[in-house]
Amino acid sequence: MNDGAAAPGATDAGEGSLESAGRGESEDRETDSVAKLSLHGITRRYGRETVLDQVSLDVPAGGTLVLFGPSGAGKTVLLRVVAGVVEADAGEVLIDGRDQHGIEPEKRGIGMAFQNFALFPHLSAFENIATPLHSRRGEGATRAERRDTRTESVERVARLLKIDHVLRQSPGALSNGQKQRTSLARALVAEPELLLLDDPLRNVDAKLRFEMRLELPRLLADQGTTVVYVTQDYKEAMALGDRIAVLVAGRVEQIGSPEDIYLRPATKRIATLFGDPPINLLDVDPECDADGPYVTLSGRRYPLDPALAVAVGRQCTLGVRPEALRFGDASEPGAIPVTVEAETPLNEKVVDLVTTVRGREILVSRPAHLSGPASGEAHLVVPMERALLFERASGERIRPRGGSPGSPDTDAGGAR
Amino acid sequence: MSIARDPAAAAPPPPARRRRPLGQRLLPYLLSLPALLVCIGILVPFGTAIYYSLQRFRLSQPWARKMNWGENYWNFMTDPAFWGTLKVSLVYAGLTVVLELLLGLGIALLLQRRTRLNNLISIMLLMPLMTAPALAALMWKLMTNVNFGVLSWLASLVGLEEFKWASAPSSALFTVVLVDIWVYTPFIMILLLAGLRSLPRQPFEAAELDGVPRWFVFRRITLPMLTPYIITAALFRLLDSIQQFDIIYAMTQGGPGDTLTVFQVEAYLDFFQSTNVGRSAALLMILWAITYVLSSLFIKHWLKLRERAAGGIA
Amino acid sequence: MRRSPIERALRGVALTVVVVFFMFPILWIVLMSFQTNETILRMPPSLDFTPTLANYKALITGKLVSNAGTLDIAFMGNLWNSVLLSVSSVALALILGVPAAYAFARHKFRGSEDIAFTLLSFKFAPPLLVLLPLTLYFQKIGLANTYVGLIWVYQLICLPLILWIVRGYFEDISPDIEYAHRVSGHSWWSTFRKIAIPLARPGIAAAALLAFIFAWNNFVFALVLASADKQPVTVGALAFVTASGIQYGQIAAAIVLSIAPTLALALVAQRYLVEGLSLGAVKG
Repeated sequence: MNDGAAAPGATDAGEGSLESAGRGESEDRETDSVAKLSLHGITRRYGRETVLDQVSLDVPAGGTLVLFGPSGAGKTVLLRVVAGVVEADAGEVLIDGRDQHGIEPEKRGIGMAFQNFALFPHLSAFENIATPLHSRRGEGATRAERRDTRTESVERVARLLKIDHVLRQSPGALSNGQKQRTSLARALVAEPELLLLDDPLRNVDAKLRFEMRLELPRLLADQGTTVVYVTQDYKEAMALGDRIAVLVAGRVEQIGSPEDIYLRPATKRIATLFGDPPINLLDVDPECDADGPYVTLSGRRYPLDPALAVAVGRQCTLGVRPEALRFGDASEPGAIPVTVEAETPLNEKVVDLVTTVRGREILVSRPAHLSGPASGEAHLVVPMERALLFERASGERIRPRGGSPGSPDTDAGGAR
Repeated sequence: MSIARDPAAAAPPPPARRRRPLGQRLLPYLLSLPALLVCIGILVPFGTAIYYSLQRFRLSQPWARKMNWGENYWNFMTDPAFWGTLKVSLVYAGLTVVLELLLGLGIALLLQRRTRLNNLISIMLLMPLMTAPALAALMWKLMTNVNFGVLSWLASLVGLEEFKWASAPSSALFTVVLVDIWVYTPFIMILLLAGLRSLPRQPFEAAELDGVPRWFVFRRITLPMLTPYIITAALFRLLDSIQQFDIIYAMTQGGPGDTLTVFQVEAYLDFFQSTNVGRSAALLMILWAITYVLSSLFIKHWLKLRERAAGGIA
Repeated sequence: MRRSPIERALRGVALTVVVVFFMFPILWIVLMSFQTNETILRMPPSLDFTPTLANYKALITGKLVSNAGTLDIAFMGNLWNSVLLSVSSVALALILGVPAAYAFARHKFRGSEDIAFTLLSFKFAPPLLVLLPLTLYFQKIGLANTYVGLIWVYQLICLPLILWIVRGYFEDISPDIEYAHRVSGHSWWSTFRKIAIPLARPGIAAAALLAFIFAWNNFVFALVLASADKQPVTVGALAFVTASGIQYGQIAAAIVLSIAPTLALALVAQRYLVEGLSLGAVKG
């Protein structure tokens, strides 16, 4: 995704602190009865391919869960399973604690917006939006009253989404942005309690995408809707979600707040997916000496957090985000000599491509207002407290506190 | 706090009981059931036909009816009438398909540009195809009447004084093939025209830019790209032609004599004139075997076409 | 593409020959239908004659008044039979076939492809194979020479067509559109009625049109299974010819009346037709 102007509260805080922008951490995960939507062990196969593998997650009432993942990860299929238009081979879908097995989509009380809009081509935009209202017993004693109520609801939503002037047109005559908003309006008009949004901003131009990223959360918060939002854009994920579920190849690799995902990614792949420019990954082999564990970077000794001592002797990868690196003096301990190859201004930051003596390429970024070496020789300092350590083979992050993931003494819930 | 695996399931995943309510599961079958029932009802006679073909069965001699197993088929080997049927059916099918392909291709090439005139002509050429073949045969029968038929008169103008058209063994085949060509060439034309118009422009534009002679373009570019359509059209027509009944029956009822006793006509005559049900059924089974092979070929070819169309450029 | 004048001339000649060849018989028969017997029997044939409506009058009124007396012509009955059989068969095929086509398109259930192919192969099998045993059966179960029996057997012509063409059109509708309608609170039946069918309407029309034409033009089914009072025009016209005392002008008029509906349909709906016909080759 191109690097547009940073939305407030969104990603890429160069200083390393990510605001959760006031969206509360959802602590009430323990009890299913509170969760609006619960998935347990959803599995779905197509032929020999397993598209969803034991997917489990919860969304509390009024919360927003972002389903993030590369294409083909199974996000759309999962939404369809929740909506009830596709059957899972195993697992349960619970809405308000009730098992939805055997309950038809039209009875689940869901609103859904599709990636390709899925507007009815033979109906006007107005009629498209009004569709969910026809199935519910509207208020009003007479047909005319009910029709008026419907009209009012449709126009209200249309005004909210700024498409009230194109309501009489047919979908073919609308622009992509208008189609997307019509699709959204249709999902919202009946004020559903659960909203499924399948990458609704994907086919929409950058400016509108940016606007909607601000408007949508406000819109949804007003109605107290529970939302599952699918996207491939990590910035969108971090901007819109209370929590993010990272789905890769049908499995949930991590669920957490945007801050969690960004600062404490579960795997190398997740670390790479989140962040622009992407995280630098350097293969290292931690060793231990009298002063404690350390890694060697370009011949310099970098001490390792003792809590990560378990990594010693294993093949690892060190992950350092470009914004964590900084240029320093040759005299600083651990300063690595590098050559600045290229510098690219990127809106609010500047990205430098540097190469080490051995030719390894590293990206360094800093806020645009700070100055730095534009080319030639320089020195890089790696703040180890912001570095992440991963197992090289499996890609899993090595957690502090002396336990690697999976080992019985890992305090999986402890750091909460 | 980030969780890597299975955060919500404090309990083990529930057992996979995945059968939907019966109504939902049965729906597709219920929807297609009536159609299937109708077809099954029609399959029964098919089984009966197999049964009959293995019998010595004459409606006029019901007492003599008994199973004679493969004897009907065996007798065909030495039956000159059978070989005559086979020969005339194959000749008829071969002639009609080849001639219609050539003619249809030629006309399609003539009409391939989208002009008002060409569109008008295409519509006009639809008419023979929309005519019932039996009625087409009737029309031509009137036109070739030796006494007052306009075509007989035209023939006499070019020196063919006593041309008997369908009444003479020597010219009967010619006449019915002519009628068949009149009715069915437009079908091939439509198919090939659709094919021609759906061909990508670039190779032709490139060839024109390079100054490639038109004959070459036709042989090396157009024809190869058209081949799937040509095969489709040919198989379709072949399947139809080898079982032709309407035109021949309406024209001559298989005559003069037995010059035009193609499969279905012969089977019909066997059944209704000679009341020889056994022989009739056996004849039809042989015809069915031929068409089954052909239609399997056709379906396989069609499937390949569909895959190619779905998968993108060939 | 530059064309030399010679080439243009040749093309013109070729096209003219083609058009004449294909149009002439129809035009000639139409002409004949307006001619008296004497005109017809006159050789050489000429275009100089006084047209008459007597042939059509005779057919329509069902009475032929001649020097030899009055002859009853049952041709109108044949026409009515054609209308009844074709319309009913297509209607029934639509009722049976459209939901089935939907089922085949949306639910890839076990054996759906096999069933589809079996049905297609029916279309290619020799009809007499089914008709001859059927005529014996029909006599036993009392369906011989009944409209019901004929309409049922005509399904063999109409259903496969409807199934194959309409299924393709249903498959072309994006499933997301139907999902959107379902999630909006509507049942599958409502979605079928309000979304699937309207969007597949061109295909349904094309299929119905083709099915009608094939049913109308059918000859052998009615020849085997129908007796004189239930025969459609295709068989009726033939019987007309062999009956004695019929004049050629009336035969021509009968033919014109018999082919007029399908020709008119072709003219009016040719785009649908061509689409339906070439569906077999291009889209599958």
